[in-house]
Amino acid sequence: MGNKWKVRFHTFHKYSALLQELVKRDIKLKYRRSVLGYLWSVLNPLLIMIVLTVVFSSMFQKNIENYPVYLLTGRVLFDFMRNATQSGLKSVTNNAALLKKTYIPKYIFTLSKATSTMVDTVFSLGAFFIVMIATRTTFHWTLVYLPVIILQVYVFSLGVSFLLAALQVMFHDMEYIYHAIITAWMYMTPLFYPLENLPNLLQLIIKSVNPMYYYVASFRDITLAGNMPGIRLIIGGWLWGFAALAIGVFVFQKKKDQFILYL
Amino acid sequence: MPQNIIDVDHLSIRFNLGNIKVDNLKEFTIRRIKHELTFQEFLALKDVDLHVQRGEAWGLIGTNGSGKSTLLKAITGILKPYKGTIKVRGRIAPMIELGAGFDQELTARENIFLNGAVLGYSRKFMEEHFDEIVEFAELQRFLDSPIKNYSSGMKARLGFAVATMVAPEILICDEVLSVGDASFRKRCNARMERMLSGGTTLLYVSHDINSVVKLCDHVLWLDHGEVVMQGDPSVVCSAYLERQDKVYSYARKKKEDREIVESTKKFDYLVVGAGLFGSVFADQAKKAGKSAVVIDRRDHIGGNIYTERIDGIDVHRYGAHIFHTSDARIWRYINRYCKFNRFVNSPVARTGSELYNLPFNMNTFSKMWGVFTPEEAQAKIDEQKSEYIAGRLEERRKAGEHILMPDELEALAAARAAEAAAAAGTDAAAGAGAATADLLKAAGLPDNAIVTDEGIFIPQNLEEQAIALVGTDIYEKLVKHYTEKQWGRPCSELPAFIIRRLPLRFTYDNNYFNDPWQGIPVGGYTQIIESMLSGVPVLTGMDYKTFAAKYPGKFRKVIYTGPIDEYFDYQFGHLQYRTVRFETERLLKPNFQGNAVVNYTGPEVPWTRIIEHKWFEYGKDLEGQDIPTTVISREYSEEWKPGMEPYYPVNDDANSKLYEKYLELAKEKKNVTFAGRLGTYSYYNMDQVILQAWKLAKKELKTHDGAMKEAVAESE
Repeated sequence: MGNKWKVRFHTFHKYSALLQELVKRDIKLKYRRSVLGYLWSVLNPLLIMIVLTVVFSSMFQKNIENYPVYLLTGRVLFDFMRNATQSGLKSVTNNAALLKKTYIPKYIFTLSKATSTMVDTVFSLGAFFIVMIATRTTFHWTLVYLPVIILQVYVFSLGVSFLLAALQVMFHDMEYIYHAIITAWMYMTPLFYPLENLPNLLQLIIKSVNPMYYYVASFRDITLAGNMPGIRLIIGGWLWGFAALAIGVFVFQKKKDQFILYL
Repeated sequence: MPQNIIDVDHLSIRFNLGNIKVDNLKEFTIRRIKHELTFQEFLALKDVDLHVQRGEAWGLIGTNGSGKSTLLKAITGILKPYKGTIKVRGRIAPMIELGAGFDQELTARENIFLNGAVLGYSRKFMEEHFDEIVEFAELQRFLDSPIKNYSSGMKARLGFAVATMVAPEILICDEVLSVGDASFRKRCNARMERMLSGGTTLLYVSHDINSVVKLCDHVLWLDHGEVVMQGDPSVVCSAYLERQDKVYSYARKKKEDREIVESTKKFDYLVVGAGLFGSVFADQAKKAGKSAVVIDRRDHIGGNIYTERIDGIDVHRYGAHIFHTSDARIWRYINRYCKFNRFVNSPVARTGSELYNLPFNMNTFSKMWGVFTPEEAQAKIDEQKSEYIAGRLEERRKAGEHILMPDELEALAAARAAEAAAAAGTDAAAGAGAATADLLKAAGLPDNAIVTDEGIFIPQNLEEQAIALVGTDIYEKLVKHYTEKQWGRPCSELPAFIIRRLPLRFTYDNNYFNDPWQGIPVGGYTQIIESMLSGVPVLTGMDYKTFAAKYPGKFRKVIYTGPIDEYFDYQFGHLQYRTVRFETERLLKPNFQGNAVVNYTGPEVPWTRIIEHKWFEYGKDLEGQDIPTTVISREYSEEWKPGMEPYYPVNDDANSKLYEKYLELAKEKKNVTFAGRLGTYSYYNMDQVILQAWKLAKKELKTHDGAMKEAVAESE
């Protein structure tokens, strides 16, 4: 048993260079493709935020004080999760040509997608801080907790990615099914509306079974309210993250030797 | 002895074909609900062995889909073995397919690092070797443009440069050097040769046989996942090319035949079964100017006489077939199609730690009892027989049975005759002095009754019958266990009629057959069938029902050589057969048992015999060279169940009656003729099959093949 883990660790170490190269590639390609480069990654959320603020702010003005920041906190985290899982879903199938020709631990590709999305998210936080400044939002000390939240979303997204990547290999229509799921998921997460507007029962359901609620609510606590997230949010966030990771890794490990037959 | 760098033992790789086709959830769910999920297995590699020593260069050849790439993938670790083991003791550098490791959007510089990382090299290591790679690939000027703008040759250069930057312990090369311009190929080859001389082990897959012969010192030939041959490159490659030529002409004939069948052409005859009977008939039909189409359910022609060549050995896939005949015309006829050797069937029998010659002859007796003359042998056998019979009679008397004495026989016969005469109202004619056999018959005793001084012995089962014929020693050593293995029951429980004769030969002659002509076609039986069927359209892998449904009205008459009960959908039940099963094995040694056929007559092993196919042709290939390997088939008798390969009809009452019922139905089918071993439910030797086919040809076609006509007339 110990030997098996030793071999695994050794393999991971050997391919960590590849992981770095893959993450670098994703980042480079993302910012190379356009003239505006990095600026685009900041501009994009800003523009969307402006549009949504114009459309929705009057609708929810009563309940929400700082609508632009409220909106952006939700979007930053949800986009992180969505981008990570959607690219993670295809991480194995997109590298079929390579996996068919040479031995590479398959999880490297899934891991690299979640990681590069995280790096990208950190970059785009620039937009978030610009909005905070523009809306004269107070920078609370609780913001130092932000990396923990990002790490939580990372662990969660990674778990979901492993599960999806394995399913996508076997069922090529997973992509479309997941697209429908994530759209529904987005509306079921209080991103641009206040949770309190929903009927009580629905509120309760979202609070208990939507993992993204935990992360978004935590993020809002440390930015808007200026206090640390409640213990329920912290523990719940980690539990969701590790549960997703455990399930994802389990399914991926179980099926990985069969991938080659479907690629 | 140094360890091998690669050891592949009994490797099988399995794919699940059923699953591969269903790759989306929608279909999966639908099929789940409809219970249509198939799990069809497909073995991409079957029991492959490969042992590579450090520094060797192995070429892998075979047609597309033969399993070459699968084997490389298994060695690389991409595919996991289904059965067997793989041990690799060295670092592998896979030569990746062109551009597969590259990202089209990245520049060459970035791709070098990415590709290096794919191969497991660290960034630092890549930086050190960067210049060297760029220099070899000659891409200095384009380092910073995206690789999507590169030509395929440039990509190949880059890929090769990265993969071979350090000499790996094992280099795997799957059809990569076929691109790039001449000068680059030259440099690639030079680099590979340098690596080879530097001790790198190479696994090389290519369809370019010339490059395989040039680069490699060993070659492995795979076909349908199995190793056909391995060894010296020039030998293996030339055998492979020869097979390719043949396959190509087969494929062309197959295509042409299909076109003919699918055209509007109508045939006089549909011959079902491309075995010896069907082929002889089709050949005669062709010569008589009639059109025939031959179909066979199996994927090859020849029926049970089909031979396939493995390592230059003609393997009798459906059991040993030795041609022998006492009809000169049949011998002449078959020799038109092929040259026969002077093979004489002289099997030996092994039992326990002893070995005897077959058939039972003076060599057998001499070894068994140390006797030299036929009289001594005869005396020994007679002594054992009479001792046994006396013992059995004594036992029966004790059990209160009445034993008929020889002197009572005549009286009994007369009495029976009188009874019969009285019943028929004629005079009794059985007189004194009639032969014993006639007396036995007249007395109403079975024809296996034996008259001895102690009384008349009627064997009740196979054991008693056999010992009464050959005595105890021969029975115990050579008959008992063999027969029990054949029938799966003790001899004392088998009916006596199975053995009526056990020929004993009181000469020193090991020739199994009594026929004056005997031999094996040099190069196997399949070529005979091929030449009989040349010019006749043949569809293999096609069964009668499918064909008749697909092409109704395509043929005037049917010659059906398949199982008669199957034709009538088993409406009265299945006809039974005795069947045998073969376990064929290729061995890496030149000689396994020193004889084509060795019977195992003892209880120690479950098989009844082992055939070592190469000795049918004296262990030589077609060029007269000794063959370094051998192929053996262990033969097992099996109880036949519907769906198994039918071999020998069972000629007991129940089956004969059943056959008669089918025959009645067959008579009503005016345009279908049932023929051959399965069509008439009777066992024929090959020469008899030919004669039967001639008879049918004469009746159907009115052909005038001189020798044939004469032979047929005589036999009728």
